[in-house]
Amino acid sequence: MSGTDGRRGATLAWRERDQPLPANLDCYELDLSGYRLEGLPTDLRVASRLILDGSPRLRSLPENLKVGSLSLRNCMALEALPEGLECWFLDLSGCEHFHQWPQQAVVRNGSLILRDCRRLAALPEWLSRLANLDLAGCPQIDRVPEQLVLTGWLDLAATAITALPAQMGDTRLRWRGVRIDQRVAFQPESLTASEILQERNAELRRVKIERMGALEFAQQANAQVLDEDRDPGGPRRLLRIDLQEDEPLVGLNCRCPSTGREYLLRVPPQMKSCHQAAAWIAGFDDPSDYHPDHES
Amino acid sequence: MIERKLIYMDAKSSKFWNIRQDGDSHTVTYGRTGSAGQSGTKSFASEALAVKDAEKLIREKLGKGYVEASDSPQDGSLPLAAFPSINHRDDLYRNAGTFVGLRVVDYDMEKPARSDVAYRFRSDWDEDQIVPALKHFLEKDAALQASAIVIGAWFGDDTEKSPGEVLDILIENSKRRPQLAAIFVGDITSEENEMSWINQTDLAPLLNAFPDLQLLRARGGTGLKFTPLQHAKLRGLALETGGMDASVLRGVCSSQFDGLEHLELWLGTEEYGATVRIEDLQPLLSGELFPNLKYLGLRNSDIADQIAAVVVNSPLVQRIETLDLSLGTLSDEGGEALLHLKDSKLKKLNLHYHYLSAEMVKRLRALPFVVDATTPSDMDTDEDFRFVAVGE
Repeated sequence: MSGTDGRRGATLAWRERDQPLPANLDCYELDLSGYRLEGLPTDLRVASRLILDGSPRLRSLPENLKVGSLSLRNCMALEALPEGLECWFLDLSGCEHFHQWPQQAVVRNGSLILRDCRRLAALPEWLSRLANLDLAGCPQIDRVPEQLVLTGWLDLAATAITALPAQMGDTRLRWRGVRIDQRVAFQPESLTASEILQERNAELRRVKIERMGALEFAQQANAQVLDEDRDPGGPRRLLRIDLQEDEPLVGLNCRCPSTGREYLLRVPPQMKSCHQAAAWIAGFDDPSDYHPDHES
Repeated sequence: MIERKLIYMDAKSSKFWNIRQDGDSHTVTYGRTGSAGQSGTKSFASEALAVKDAEKLIREKLGKGYVEASDSPQDGSLPLAAFPSINHRDDLYRNAGTFVGLRVVDYDMEKPARSDVAYRFRSDWDEDQIVPALKHFLEKDAALQASAIVIGAWFGDDTEKSPGEVLDILIENSKRRPQLAAIFVGDITSEENEMSWINQTDLAPLLNAFPDLQLLRARGGTGLKFTPLQHAKLRGLALETGGMDASVLRGVCSSQFDGLEHLELWLGTEEYGATVRIEDLQPLLSGELFPNLKYLGLRNSDIADQIAAVVVNSPLVQRIETLDLSLGTLSDEGGEALLHLKDSKLKKLNLHYHYLSAEMVKRLRALPFVVDATTPSDMDTDEDFRFVAVGE
């Protein structure tokens, strides 16, 4: 733990990682990353930043906690936030079990980062004004609150959001940090392979391929067939498409033997055969070690 | 009838511009501060045309950075217009010509000392004369009346030397300097020493020694410290760095400056030591600090876009007059955010040196206050690489 006392600017040192925090702690900043706490003292006061990243046992925070910014990245045991929480910046990236918002709280003006909060089903209605909202990897989220104003950006990669409220029409959008426009977000069916091949920005091109679907893209782009064979799902092919200023897209085109659905699974570009690619997908570096009874 | 008195101060000049429109003519008087200036009268076909022309000229001057002379206090305190460190990027390439409206003159031990200029003390690389010159000056009666002091290059041939010894001389003599209102520690061009190489020191002892100081300006981020303190009279603080450590911002935000009107922080880039993140600015942007603030400058920053997105939501911005995000890497993303300022009470938005598109500049200029969105003529607006004005 390290922190700074606001009045004296001194840095506190706390080496007893499994000891409880001292009472009446009042500081400017407090970094408790990796600390094995289950909760915090109710009389703790932090003016600016409170950092609790990677606290594996953290289950609860004090009610009416008021800080400038609160970072709770990868707090795997955290399921809920306390009533009366107030902050400008809140980062819950990787809090896979977080799902319960307080009835009343204020998170405004700064950033709300909810990246990969996979259990989260909805956003609270009390959100009103933020700079940035990161929902990337929240597959259950399908809408943002009607009254929300964003002055920065919205990241909606791999969410279920298919449209924005009318007043958010010109909000800047991102897809896992890559700037995208409304069409890439909401009309991916309008993307074409030739447009993607002409895209100069490699990051944006990768997002566009993801939005179009790698299989659809490979089919439209007349991919080169590197190898062909059969597996229990039927014929399979190793396909390659060259991309400017990026490594080639090489993928194994196969069908799932049980559902019949067709996929393109991206593999490293140096793969030469379908078997080698399937072995790599299964985690084998040496394809000669890979002899599955079933492929599924 | 229209009558307006405007003033302009920057690193090069200190001047005034007055206009008086009466009936179908107007008279403009302008010149260097302290001089009578020169004037010219123009007549028009109608009163309406004279008013229209006068209003156009006033808008033009305000756009160039002139401010109302009436905004400057009459009680001997310095005008707020005198506080910004530099207005335009190119001012970085020369030493200060003026400081708080006074002409800057290198101190010469051979000449009689005056009290109507700001003396600069500096050492050349081959001659370490700053300490003897400063001691010599502080013995003179003129020094008792001096309202501003400029400390130039203090390091001679040892560019890593801190200004500690020089500041100690000022601190030791502080009791005898009742008039001193403004100190500039670091009038150093990149030719003398790159901004990020300048070794600074803790500035709190200097402020503590001068309880009547109104403006402290310092250039250089390496070694810069700011131990939290209380100072009731300080009205302006400008810290110019190529990379500001978060502890400096923490020190400023933990200080009590009830009279502070002008706060200018050059945040710089990570490559040159910047550790200030957007979250670190929250205590400042919360609006709970510095009740008298009128100008906020978060300049020379490579997180200018992030700042723009948050600053428009700041209660502080609802009560200040000037927001300055100049000299940084502001692009259309930040520009779009700044359009949210349309209902604020700002009088001026400074975005000089930016990476905004022509279309975005046009939209920003339509905001209901003065917007400086100029760029230096030699600026490289490459889409892929964006640099702050001072990155070294």
